[in-house]
Amino acid sequence: MPAIFTVDPRSGVPLYLQLIEQIKRAIALGTIAPGEQLPTVKALALELTVNPNTVARVYRELERDGVIDTSPGRGSFVRTDGAGVEARRAVADVARAAFETAVREAKSLGLSREETLELMARTIARWYETENE
Amino acid sequence: MTAPISLRGVTKHYGSFVAVDDVSLDVEAGSICGLLGPNGAGKTTTFKCLLGFAKPTSGAIAIEGAPLTPATFESLAYVPERATLYDDFTIADHLEIYRRSYKSYEPARARELLALFELDPSKRAKRLSKGMRTAVALTLAFSIRPRVLILDEPSSGLDPVHQRNVLDLMIDAAANGAAILFSSHQVGQVERAADSVAIMKKGQLIVNSGIDDLKTGEKIIEAVFAGPAPDLGDLAGDPRVLRIEQVGSTVRAVTREGSDEIAQRLFALHPKSIRTIDLNLEEIFMNAVSGDQR
Repeated sequence: MPAIFTVDPRSGVPLYLQLIEQIKRAIALGTIAPGEQLPTVKALALELTVNPNTVARVYRELERDGVIDTSPGRGSFVRTDGAGVEARRAVADVARAAFETAVREAKSLGLSREETLELMARTIARWYETENE
Repeated sequence: MTAPISLRGVTKHYGSFVAVDDVSLDVEAGSICGLLGPNGAGKTTTFKCLLGFAKPTSGAIAIEGAPLTPATFESLAYVPERATLYDDFTIADHLEIYRRSYKSYEPARARELLALFELDPSKRAKRLSKGMRTAVALTLAFSIRPRVLILDEPSSGLDPVHQRNVLDLMIDAAANGAAILFSSHQVGQVERAADSVAIMKKGQLIVNSGIDDLKTGEKIIEAVFAGPAPDLGDLAGDPRVLRIEQVGSTVRAVTREGSDEIAQRLFALHPKSIRTIDLNLEEIFMNAVSGDQR
């Protein structure tokens, strides 16, 4: 698998959630292609030095979310139908949560609606500027 | 089906001192349980009871569904905190003793492990550093491909590279179906390698949970109010709240579960700001052993 994952066991975010997010992100970005095979549970657990049951849970949840297919004896594969859509939706969820946190933080620090909007507009201008040129 | 490692109400008294107090714990096949606790919490005594080196005052122990017999040790490996080796014997001699004692001994596996830990088999035990002694004990333990592993501080004296190797050995064994119970003072190791965590304090098992569940449930909700903090009502009495800390206009609620609902309850009191703080295992561990709330 050409994607590189890293986990931070010292984070308060459970490892399985960290891995699910990274795998979905890799699929949404195309670094893991539809139809591609994922490493076995044991191989990924050893590569990352994390508990095998944690990786098994990641694969179970990815299967439940319609991102991968696991068949006994063959392994786990990224679905060719709709895995990308599901992964992009998941990535949008991550972005929405980050946005939500930022706005809540601005509000709790005492910024007015106008000040927050202005801050957002400036941030958007900075990051989307090159795309419009 | 009983779990491969099973303790039921295990209690061990030394005179009037209660070293282990009514501990019940299961470790399933393919699972790694990390045992944490301050010194003197009863971790090593629990291991001694598990291995039959100490007789529990009460309670029951089963390894792979049966009480201990000599045959149990064919599939069980134990690494004590201080490796017990024969001083005048070489590492190769120790492996030879294992070859003669265990039907399950695999010479090829032993050679792999010697290479992994960079051990010279011709060295005598008395010439080994503390870390090398630990590495020899680990080599012996994993050379029989045990189905049950009990490891007391398995990385003591090892450098960070070999500590990582120990975690990988445990992960590999668990992926092949072994049940593993290990104690450690390094919370980070438990956080990586274990799927469940047990925390002991003064002989009692005060936490026994999946690590992910623990992290999902235990959070700090911090609310900052404009003036002095208002009356919190019966928030402290909520069973989902472990503890409330209050300094001036800041209120911190440590939750065991249901952090979203607790945040909403605090939000209803109109704080200036409110945030949820994720806790890592070290912080959860410190909360557990320092508080009396559990």
